[in-house]
Amino acid sequence: MRFACDTGGTFTDLIVEDDALGLRMYKAATTPYDPVQGVLNALRLAAADNDLSLAELLGRGDMLIHGTTHAINAIITGNTAKTAFLSTAGHPDVLVLREGGRIEPFNFTVPHPKPYVPRALTFEVPERIDSAGRVHTPLDEAAVLAIIERLCAAGVEAVGVCFLWSIRNPAHELRVGELLAEHLPQVPFTLSHRLNPALREYRRASSTVIDASLKPLMSRYLGGFTEQLAKAGFRGRTLVLTSQGGMLDARDIADKPIHAINSGPSMAPIAGRHYAALDSAASNVIIADAGGTTYDVSLVRAGRIPLTKETWIGQPFRGHMTGFPSIDIKSVGAGGGSIASVDAGGLLHVGPQSAGADPGPACYGTGGTEPTLTDASVVLGYLDPAYFLGGTMKLDPVAAARAIEEKVARPLGIGLKDAAAAIVDVATENMVQAITDITVNQGIDPAAAVLIGGGGAAGLNSVRIARRLGCPVLIIPETGAGLSAAGAIMSDLSNEYRATLFTTSANFDRAGVNAVLAGLRRNCEAFIGGSGRGAVSTAIDYTVEARYAGQVWEIEVPLAVAEFTDDGQLASLAGAFHAMHEQIFAIRDPGSVIEFVGWTATARCRLHESEAGRLRPGARHSAGATRRIYIAGEGEVEAAVHDFESMETGREHVGPAIVESPFTTVVADRATRFARAASGSLVLRP
Amino acid sequence: MSTISRKTLDGAQLAIFANRFEGISSKMGNTLLRTGRSGVLNRAKDFSCCILTAGHELLAVAESLPIHVLSGPDIMARSMVGFHPQLRRGDAFLHNSPYHGCSHPADHTIIMPVIDDDGVHRYTVLAKAHQADIGNSIPTTYHGTARDVYEEGALIFPAVQVLKDYRTIDDIVRMCALRIRVPEQWHGDFLAMLGAALIGEREILALGKEAGWDRLDAFARQWFDYSEKRMIDAIRAVPAGTGTAQSTHDAIPGTPPQGITITSTVTVDTGAAIIEVDLRDNPDQMACGLNVSESCTRTAAYIGIFNSIDHTVPKNAGAMRRVRLHLKDGGVVGIPRHPISCSASTTNLADRITSATQRAMAELGEGFGMGEVGCFCPPSCSVVSGKDPRTGKQYVNQLYLGHTAGAGAPHQDAWLTMLHVGNGGMCFIDSVELDEIYTPIHVRTRRLIPDSEGAGRYRGAPGIEVEFGPVDCDMEAGFVADGNVHVPQGARAGLSSAPSDQLLRRADGTTRKLAQSSLIRIASGETLVSIAQGGGGYGDPKTRDPQRVRHDVRERLISRARAAEIYRVAITEAGEIDYAGTARLRP
Repeated sequence: MRFACDTGGTFTDLIVEDDALGLRMYKAATTPYDPVQGVLNALRLAAADNDLSLAELLGRGDMLIHGTTHAINAIITGNTAKTAFLSTAGHPDVLVLREGGRIEPFNFTVPHPKPYVPRALTFEVPERIDSAGRVHTPLDEAAVLAIIERLCAAGVEAVGVCFLWSIRNPAHELRVGELLAEHLPQVPFTLSHRLNPALREYRRASSTVIDASLKPLMSRYLGGFTEQLAKAGFRGRTLVLTSQGGMLDARDIADKPIHAINSGPSMAPIAGRHYAALDSAASNVIIADAGGTTYDVSLVRAGRIPLTKETWIGQPFRGHMTGFPSIDIKSVGAGGGSIASVDAGGLLHVGPQSAGADPGPACYGTGGTEPTLTDASVVLGYLDPAYFLGGTMKLDPVAAARAIEEKVARPLGIGLKDAAAAIVDVATENMVQAITDITVNQGIDPAAAVLIGGGGAAGLNSVRIARRLGCPVLIIPETGAGLSAAGAIMSDLSNEYRATLFTTSANFDRAGVNAVLAGLRRNCEAFIGGSGRGAVSTAIDYTVEARYAGQVWEIEVPLAVAEFTDDGQLASLAGAFHAMHEQIFAIRDPGSVIEFVGWTATARCRLHESEAGRLRPGARHSAGATRRIYIAGEGEVEAAVHDFESMETGREHVGPAIVESPFTTVVADRATRFARAASGSLVLRP
Repeated sequence: MSTISRKTLDGAQLAIFANRFEGISSKMGNTLLRTGRSGVLNRAKDFSCCILTAGHELLAVAESLPIHVLSGPDIMARSMVGFHPQLRRGDAFLHNSPYHGCSHPADHTIIMPVIDDDGVHRYTVLAKAHQADIGNSIPTTYHGTARDVYEEGALIFPAVQVLKDYRTIDDIVRMCALRIRVPEQWHGDFLAMLGAALIGEREILALGKEAGWDRLDAFARQWFDYSEKRMIDAIRAVPAGTGTAQSTHDAIPGTPPQGITITSTVTVDTGAAIIEVDLRDNPDQMACGLNVSESCTRTAAYIGIFNSIDHTVPKNAGAMRRVRLHLKDGGVVGIPRHPISCSASTTNLADRITSATQRAMAELGEGFGMGEVGCFCPPSCSVVSGKDPRTGKQYVNQLYLGHTAGAGAPHQDAWLTMLHVGNGGMCFIDSVELDEIYTPIHVRTRRLIPDSEGAGRYRGAPGIEVEFGPVDCDMEAGFVADGNVHVPQGARAGLSSAPSDQLLRRADGTTRKLAQSSLIRIASGETLVSIAQGGGGYGDPKTRDPQRVRHDVRERLISRARAAEIYRVAITEAGEIDYAGTARLRP
């Protein structure tokens, strides 16, 4: 039996996979002050559902996969370790200046972001390596020892070390690491070239100090997590999801905790890829995960999940760059709790402010008075006030209507239903824009892609989003409300290895490239033989980051071969690059030399035999009824109400209709045809 | 979508179309950043993209440099139609003429009309990018001392056709290849601009097909009306009255010995909801490269206004209906006439227009306007050129190694990395590692300078010191520094910032001061020392929140002595506020 548990901002989702019984999904409230309790509560729900005690349930488990927001929350709330930054002398302001850049050039109310480590805890180390890797200024060890004394006096709890050009010659960073280990043995540290051997000092320094600052708390958290689970009866292996869509053993994550920053959301595309393949031939997939406060969009391109190097914690240019690749997820403040408001010029806005869980949307009746997308869905009849979260929470339609009437309908001078429909329209557009942004960056045409609707709020407007984007098929998986946890169940153990070798199409260093690829392969094989022992299957994928000569931003091109043996292979690689460049940027420059910069190999280990199974249905909901709903452009219509879990498979229906499960509600308008597929997913054609 | 089929769009539909046009504009920008070849584009992001209506009204300018786009693209598009009355799908034009609406000759621009299936010109997309080189008589794109455009030496393209039936007109490319330094770099950037324009055109054609051209027209009309209404409200929030302020550019060869003083008079008429900016009381055009093109004069005034009012007003032709500008024909700012040079038109004197305008706005009432932003263009932002000994190849490129410049605002401290006021902080700062790998230089130092900020209730940014020099070769560096003498002033009792400076450090460690407008050769072993300044403060520093003062002392941005002397806050050696001591200092 395997458990996948994703601790989100509002809910902790648990998926239990049993070889005999298939999948079951549970949701418990997240307990922010002690997240393990939320996990244990969800496990208790599962135990009760299976007539077992918690200890009996856990005793049957051989693996628990955990997605956690603990690291990102600590950063957002400022609860990370007191961290010092050691920088090359003459360059103390790497974290202050960052890479410049700004959004909203006329907005002078937003402060310039404070550096991740204050200047007061930044120390200049006399040393310098030059761009060729030569020692320009030798390391002054006496000065390092003096700095270590000051770190000690200042009560520093973690240290990040990032020197210029340490990626060319790490000697100085390594020596400082030895001195820290010797003289500050209790204080964890991170060396930049080891953590993130990438060009551009701000990004590397930023990942280094973020990583260091997370070490004390993530060691404690993961230590406590495994200990409490063991105490409750779990004997299996605990794995933690990474920002790159893989998983690592809990102790490995404690060593490089920066990899846990996007733990959780990174799994949605893995589930999305799986469900898309079951019901569609499209190789490009857009995965949307609609939660309470954010709408997270990720992609599958030609079967692969693209990564981005520009991961920001917070807004671009106002937050901190992790400097680390992660699954490319575009997040916008548009979710069920997003607040609708009308400005002085009569323009309707929805989000990014969110009513969150507290005070919550007006219809929660917990003190919220601002109208939200959830309130609009109640007013339009999409949400059944008596069946929210399977009836465990009652909604107040009067409060929802009042909030929208006062704050939206009256200022816009339109009727209540039109106002509610307008809120859905604007939220839809914000979501569409988020999808457009990320598909643009990755060069995907939404009209040739399938859209996966995940998250509890996805069903409300996914049909409209799909139509707006021109997506021919929308799939709502049966585990869609817990898409990340579902992704975790089906994800592989994986680790990525990167190396830098500069060469060009004009003067291709075949021997050098082959040596680099062989080295990466050895790393992958060591991982597969270590952490991946017992895997049922393994694979290694190779990619190269390439650009035209003079460009500084690369695009990632998959390698068809792991070793270059003839010129034809180089020619096809160049052809693939030109094609991809034109696909993304509308131009190609066949006369230009191509530069190859970064080489990556990813090792994947499949740990279990079976593909993810089917969701076991719960108690049947009162289906067969109809409900009056309001659809923009159609007005009030009588919609059939279907029970998601007990719907007959293969039978095609036409909207207007509502498909409900305890965790989600799907709205289909008149033009939409839909059916429950044998896979269990709801497949809609807008 | 069925709900967007009505004649008049509601607030929701307006927001949707506004987002779509902004989305297209930012997609164009992303293409330029990722495909550009020169550092000025792909490292510093010194480019802008925008969309205009067929009537040449500015519609969408997502994430652009303010000085590039607020005014100018309208004039450029109009000149395109004037020179080429018969536009066809697949046409595109190269434009950089400051006498026909371009900001300055270094900003090569691709203008492309969006023509629908019936051959009707619907929109114009524009991709403008500062080039590493444009074939000037000296290797810099800011020729501060050029007597005229002939000495400047820039190739001027007044809306010259470069694309026909989507095919490049190679005659122009061949010409440029013989007159622009490092031509393959220029050609790569030219392709990047074409790509951005093509992406914009493709997206708008798709949008027109989906939504219908008539509905898009209805959107544009309503969007301008909405923006105008927001502008009216914003203007009525400003106290009525007239304010005048001056800002003086330091002297360089070709200017009077006392420098160039710019006067801006701003009148806010809340009844009519109009802001007037009068720039006529200014000197005639001068025999130097500092003259400000019509595009930049207009834009600089707009920036001064938009920096001073509610920032949420959309910046487009609708909002600008509420601004009246009065320019001088043949002025050093205003409408300089050919063949006078506008080489450094986007930065130096244009910044002084904005500075004077936003300080004039500040005079009208508390909570409006801003201090003066730090001056451009210090040696850390030089155009450098030479031969890279590692490859044996020529290089030319503008560095963005570090400038702060931000000024205090009514409710917040400076945005640290503004670069200069016309830029709005939109450019990136070069990575030391990237610059050292792409250019044969070594960067010794890049650090903020304590006690150099313009003090105020909300303070300006500290200055920054950058020191760098060539490695194993000689290098030429060109810059036009301002603010050595006439430092950025504060607003509403805010104080000015420290002066800028530029020095050469010889191999023996001794230094000599350099002329402010220089093209100098630096030998191996020598370094350039660039002292770039922050901006002025806003409000009396004696009213600054003591917690902010304490934070600055702890962060070593200001000294305890300065905290006591200027801010009148006593900070203990341990970095805590001495409340009793502060009470004595602030009676």
